[in-house]
Order: sequence, then structure tokens, then C-alpha cells
Amino acid sequence: MNNAKINRIKDKVFKYTGIIASISGIVILSIFIGFVIYMGVQRLSWDFIVQLPSRFAEESGIYTAWMGTVWIMVFTTFISFPLGVGAGIYLEEYGDKNRWSSFLEINIANLASVPSIIYGLLGLGVFVRMMQMGNSILAGSLTLSLLILPIIIVSTREAIKAVPSSIRDASNALGASKWQTIWHQILPASFGGILTGVILALSRAIGETAPLIVVGALVYVPFAPQNPLDEFTVLPVQIYNWVSRPQEEFVINAAAAIIVLLGITFIMNGIAVYLRNKWQSKLEW
Amino acid sequence: MDSETTSKQPKTSNVETTSEMNPDNRSLKLQAKNVDVFYDDFQAIKKISLDIVEKSITAFIGPSGCGKSTFLRLFNRMNDNIDGFHMNGNILIDNKNIYDESIKVEELRKKVGMVFQKPNPFPKSIYENVAYGLRIQGVKDEEFIENRVIESLKQATLYSEIENNLEKQALSLSGGQQQRLCIARALAVKPSVLLMDEPTSALDPISSGKIEDLIHELKKEFTIVIVTHNMQQAARVSDNTAFLYMGNLIEYGDTQKIFTNPEKDRTQNYITGRFG
Amino acid sequence: MAPQHLDSELKLLKDNVLELMFLVKNQLEKGQQALHEFDEELAHEIMANEKRVDSLELTIDRDCENLLALHNPVAVDLRFVMASFKINSDLERIGDHANSIAKYIVDFGRKIDDENMKTMRLDEMYDTANKMVSNIFNAFITEDTGLARRVFRLDETLNQINREVSASTAQLIEKDVSQTQNYLYLFSIVRKLERVGDLSKNIAEELIFYIEAKVLKHKKMKSKNNNGNGEENNS
Repeated sequence: MNNAKINRIKDKVFKYTGIIASISGIVILSIFIGFVIYMGVQRLSWDFIVQLPSRFAEESGIYTAWMGTVWIMVFTTFISFPLGVGAGIYLEEYGDKNRWSSFLEINIANLASVPSIIYGLLGLGVFVRMMQMGNSILAGSLTLSLLILPIIIVSTREAIKAVPSSIRDASNALGASKWQTIWHQILPASFGGILTGVILALSRAIGETAPLIVVGALVYVPFAPQNPLDEFTVLPVQIYNWVSRPQEEFVINAAAAIIVLLGITFIMNGIAVYLRNKWQSKLEW
Repeated sequence: MDSETTSKQPKTSNVETTSEMNPDNRSLKLQAKNVDVFYDDFQAIKKISLDIVEKSITAFIGPSGCGKSTFLRLFNRMNDNIDGFHMNGNILIDNKNIYDESIKVEELRKKVGMVFQKPNPFPKSIYENVAYGLRIQGVKDEEFIENRVIESLKQATLYSEIENNLEKQALSLSGGQQQRLCIARALAVKPSVLLMDEPTSALDPISSGKIEDLIHELKKEFTIVIVTHNMQQAARVSDNTAFLYMGNLIEYGDTQKIFTNPEKDRTQNYITGRFG
Repeated sequence: MAPQHLDSELKLLKDNVLELMFLVKNQLEKGQQALHEFDEELAHEIMANEKRVDSLELTIDRDCENLLALHNPVAVDLRFVMASFKINSDLERIGDHANSIAKYIVDFGRKIDDENMKTMRLDEMYDTANKMVSNIFNAFITEDTGLARRVFRLDETLNQINREVSASTAQLIEKDVSQTQNYLYLFSIVRKLERVGDLSKNIAEELIFYIEAKVLKHKKMKSKNNNGNGEENNS
């Protein structure tokens, strides 16, 4: 067998291995989601969405849970977006490129892989107790913000790095100050990348359970939050709670809630992909 | 070559503008005096002095790495952002030292424009590209901006090709058009000096030709310095030519003389293609 | 273009020009010999060689054209091509004159008195002309402009002889009308040799242009009584 033939066979083997791997992943995922949908779809209804949770499964709804999720997400966004993007811009544009900055860069990346429960403990100690926010939405949002901050910072920096330096040169050569170049050229050009990163970070945050439990998301909250210092619960916690009940009806509820949560996640990711494509086509370097 | 004709120049590259280089006795627009440039420990420019007359075209030629782009960037201080850059000597524009502490770099760059090797329009519309320089200066009068944009596009001989659609995305233009757009963008802020770093090396011959014609026209109003690898281009386009080699200024003179009878053997060897 | 390629093209051009120079030099020298001994065969040989002269001229023209079109030479290379182009044309005309002299010899059909040849100073002129062509040949090989410059003085000598011979020819004819034909015959050869001298001087000027980038054309030579170093006095 000559080399060309061996290579062609290797090609085919690789191709089919890849196909099998992809299909297996998708198949397994589909089975799992399909199962959940099958289990939970019967429970999906308008009532389900607006009802408060109760001891009786048929009357339990996810109102407080998804309201809590909304509040948490809104606050997390408002906190993490400016902080993360601002830090990313500062580190990428204004930071000196020395050993200290490389050290910083490595550590920020590491922070992204710290287990989320650690963030929960941090939030508990600092926000809930030390700053006396109690088990509030504010504490939960701050904790989640810390969690996703490294992701936002890294993706902001990557988006900015992707802007060719020729644009920077052109802007500088026309007499723009550093800030003018960033505001008029770099940010608009990298915005798609930044936004994508933020949305992906948020869609991760939306599913976080452990840190919020530690910070005090309650399992039984019969009211929707009215202000940031209120106690709260979120969808993942509600799901966690229902799944651990013995009654089967609650498990069905959980399945339904999972469908809702998945739906929200898919929509958010879909928006991220759409936005990224729209920005990508605009900037064909 | 007859060794009698090799002139006995001192070791430091100290060249005065001869009368054949400045026949109308115009004022000196750009001056370099004993300039050294270092990147950390590496010396990129070694004691270069030269004068550039206003409203002339000067070409810098030399093999890769000889320092011509570095030298060019001294005049609009684009080297300032490069790590490890420091220099000795003086660079004067209109008799003022541009590295003086009182000089604001942004102000300098409004008077000294630059066009780069690879066309680099912003990912915006044609109009916004040309308007950018004015907007960052704080100009708000939209009518003024529009007039200036059209004027600059006409000056860059691009207007007739795109006049119907200034909102078109700049990146959708061809390479030659993009480069002319970059020239229009630089012209819009009305600089008095235009620095061009190999402006046509990424372009096809026809586009290059158009830009060379354009440079010729612009000479009436601007002082132009152009770095080029293309010997024929330097010969066609420039009034005076400076030959740099390994950071030294080997020869600087009237282009016609350099290409028919240069004084230094090294210059001759370079332009006849025997090295570099 | 790769400089190696250019260098080999330039060398080829130089070799061709040298070949033509050598050929033309020989044509002249043979002419002198044929005249002395009335060697008709030698004269015919000269006339046959004229074809080679013409053919070389065309080759050199083409070489120059290709060099300019394909290699875009500048500075010394450009001057070399320009000079070769003109030298080529001058050499061809020298060859032409040598050919015409050979034709005269054949047409005249008989030997000429040594006496008359001496009176018309033919050998002097021939020797000077030959020396001039020799000088430019060597100057071209060695790129020695001193040698080229000596040609100017030799040309002055040639012109001087020409003037004197022209002046005395009429007198000689008056003195002995029977010799008119001979004298007229020799006179035309003298005129031709004077042209050869002029052309050689042109070639010397081209050489100096190529080597020193100095243009000496159309400049008046100053002193007649210079002390033998043949230096150009103004440029």
C-alpha cells in the first residue's frame, strides 16, 4: 500500500470518527432532553407560570422562581457588564505589558475555573454577613457577578485583541487621543465579540445553583421580590427543590421547570449567535 | 567605477541640501539633526541629518531593515508607542522641535498625515471614514464636514468613482480605491506634510500608477515623504532621494543624479540591484 | 531581475562590442597593407568582411534594446548601454569607410607610387588612425579613461595632417597635371581617414561618458600646445 492510499484511509477513518462522536453527543443529549420534555410538557400551562409554589404539586407554579431569576439576571447584568467590560478595556488598552500584567492575565483566567461554590462561600461571607445585605437579591447578584466577571473580562480582551492594529494606527495617525480611538474605533469594532461574551456569561449565570443556595436562595418563597434586598429564589433552585421531593408530581413539575429554563437558555444563546454573525459580516477584514 | 568620483564624505551622515536639490530656494519644511534612534539596545538610526524642502517629494530607499520606516515615523511620532523607543537629536518641522515637551502629539498629527502600506480604512462608510479626522477635532458643522469630505475625495481622485454612494461600506471597495480613500481621509484634516509608507506595495500596477499620478498632483500643496521598495517608483515620483543602509544615511540627493550617477558605490550597487 | 542575469547580459554586450572593434581595427589595418602593395585579394577580403560588420552591428543593437526593455538599468549600467549603442553605430561607420577604401583600391586597379604616398602623407594618417582605434579598443577593455583621452590629441594630429594635405593637393596637381588622378585618388582616402579619426574621437567621448559620467560632446578643446598629457581642459 503506498502512502497516498494510507492517507486516504486515515482521512476516512478520521471523518467517520468525527461523525460518530458528534452524533453520539447529539443523540444522547436529545434523548435526555426528549425525556424531560416528555415528562414535563403535560404540566406546562399558563397557570404553571403564574402560580406561586405550594405544598400541593398541582397548584405549584414557578412564578416566584422565574421572577427571582429575572431580578437576579437584571442586577447581575447591570453589575457585571460595566465592571467586566471596563476591566477588560483597561487591562487590554491601558495596562503595561510587563510581568505583572501577564501574572494578572493568568490569574483572571484561573478565576474562571474556580468552582462556583467557592464564589457562593465568598458571597456568603462578604456580602451576606460582612456587608450585612442578608440573603438578598443584591447579595446573590453580586456573587454571580463575581463568578462571571472573569469570563467577561477575558472575552472582552479577546474581542479587543481581534481588532487589527492597523485600525489603531490609522486612528492615531489622524491625531485621535487614546480614548477617542477606543471609543470611536476599537469598541464599535469589538462590540459584537464583547456582547457575545457577555451573553454567554449571563446564560451560564442563569443556570447557577450552588452559589445561590449558599448565599441563601430559599426553597420556599411564596412571594415575588419587591426590592433588591428581598429574599428570593431562582429557577434552578426551585428545580433542585422539586426534584428532591418524593411525590412524583413534583418531579413532573421539575421537568416542566427545566423545559422553561432550557428555553430561556436556548433563546439567550440564540440571540448571542445571531448578534455575533451580524457583527462578523460587518467587519470583513 | 573611477575612484576619483567617489566623494570624500565624513563618516557621519551629514548632508546639506544642495542647490540642485532646492532650485527655487524654498524653505526647509522638515529637518533632522544628528538623529539616533534606539529600540532598547538596538540602534536603528545612526546619526542622520537631512533637510527636506517644502512642497517636494522625497523618497527613502534602502534594503529591508535599513531603518527607513522608523525614520519616517519620527516625523509624526508614531514610534512613541513602540516599546523601548528612545532617540537623540532633533526633528524640526517648520523650525520647531516636535519632540519638545510642550508639543501635543495629537496636534502634531493633524499637521503631519500618514498613509500606510496596507490600506486600512475603518469598518465604516466611506463618508464616515473621511469625516473621522474632523469629528475627533470636535467639528460639529455637518455642512462643513460634508464639503470637506467631498473636497478630499475629489483631491484623492476617488470622488468620481463613488460619488453616488458615500454611505457604502469602505471595506467593500477594491484595494486601490481603499488606499485612495485612506489618502482622502488623511487629506481631510488639511495637513501640510504627508508621510507615505510604501503606499502602493500592496496594489496592482494600474492602481499604483493612479496613486503615483495623485502624489504628483498633491506635491503642489503638500510636502511628501515616501518610503518605497520599488526603485522605479522612487525614480519616477520623487524630486530627491535618500538611500539608507543599516541605519546610516549613505547618500541623499537629486533623484535624477542618484539614478544616473550616484556618488557612492554602495548606492550604485543597490540601485542596480547588485545587492539588497 | 536577478543581478546575475543582468551581469551576464552586460558582459555579452561588452564582448560583442569588443569583437566589432577588433574586426573594424583589422579592416583598417588590412586596408593600409592592401594600399601599399596593391593587394587586390586583400581588398576583396575586406569587402567580404563588411557583411560581418553589419551583422554584428545588428546584434549589438538588439542586445541594447533587450537590456533596456527587460532589465531597466540605471546609473552605470544605463550609461554603459547608452554608450555601447552609440559606439556601435560609430564602429559600423568606421567599418563602412574601411570598406569604401577597399573599393577604391579595387576600382583604381593599379599600384600607387611610394613617392606619391609619401607626399600625401598617407602612412602618417594611417598610423595615427590605427593608433586611435587601438587606443579605444584598449581603453574599452581596461576602462582606462587616460587612454581614451589620448585619442583627442591624436585626432588633432590627424586633423592637422588633413588640413595640410588638403592645402597642398591643389599645388601638387598644378605642378604635375599628369598625376592628377593619383592625387585625387589618394586625397579621397585621406578624407576617409579623417572621418575615421572623427568617429574614433566620438567613441572616446562615449567611453568617458560611460566611465566617468562626464559629457564631453560639443565641447571645445582648449589649447593646441598642451604638453602631451591630453587632458580635457573644461567640462
